[in-house]
Amino acid sequence: MNPKSDDDLIAIFAHARRWDRGDAPAWRAELVDRPVLRSRPVLRWALVTASVVAIFLTLMPRHEQPLTEALPPLLDSPPGELFASVEPALLSFEAPSDFLLTSQLNRSIP
Amino acid sequence: MERAMADQLEALHPDAFGWALHCCAGEHGRAEDVLQNAYLKLARERARHDGRSSFKTWWFGVIRFTAHEEFRRLRYRESLLGRLLLQLTGDAHDPRPSPAGKMELDERRAELRRCLAQLPARQAEVLHLVFYQDLTLNEAAGVMRVSIGSVRQHYERGKARLRTLLQPAPCHEPQV
Repeated sequence: MNPKSDDDLIAIFAHARRWDRGDAPAWRAELVDRPVLRSRPVLRWALVTASVVAIFLTLMPRHEQPLTEALPPLLDSPPGELFASVEPALLSFEAPSDFLLTSQLNRSIP
Repeated sequence: MERAMADQLEALHPDAFGWALHCCAGEHGRAEDVLQNAYLKLARERARHDGRSSFKTWWFGVIRFTAHEEFRRLRYRESLLGRLLLQLTGDAHDPRPSPAGKMELDERRAELRRCLAQLPARQAEVLHLVFYQDLTLNEAAGVMRVSIGSVRQHYERGKARLRTLLQPAPCHEPQV
């Protein structure tokens, strides 16, 4: 680089530099003094542990109860006479058209 | 951040702005954004000086990289999809300098900027780094992340081309 031959360019750039310096925004120390946002290691480990536990609980095989124990005893009823609640008059009822039915089908309700 | 580094940054601040301005093709507002984002990278320790090059060389490299990021973002915004999203979000960005900023521009400086804009980007960069920032060719190569041989070539070609562009155009007087 020959400095003498470059004087013209040096002068032009120096002029531009002077103008730019005048236009430059003021230095603000707070731009570089911001606190660094780092996640604390303890917090990070707690997060990892919680995630592992959650995954384990989700994927863990469950002990399933037998169906007879799991279901409520809806079908259990005390032993007794069948159709006890039905009135006797209804049980011996015969319709006038019963004779039309064949003897096999003409059954009375016990 | 260390006090020593903050002092270095403060001392380099005007030149750093000049470099950001060059990287942003003279757009004042964009240069401010780029420099602020570069400072933010330091504050968040996303960029660290490892001592392999001088602080100035490294810092100018960070600013250059940040300006390229900003340019890519701007290009995306100006793309078709970006424009569509801008219309939806209503977030408009005008890259043109303000009228007040235009008036403040000195003519010689504006002419230099116009001529530099006509050079290939590498040539303009090396000329700015050498003549404006007083860096050596080696340091310029460090900032631009290219070899010294390549920088020297860009430098010589850039100087010749810039001189041609800066020459006043010959006047064509009407013949009598």
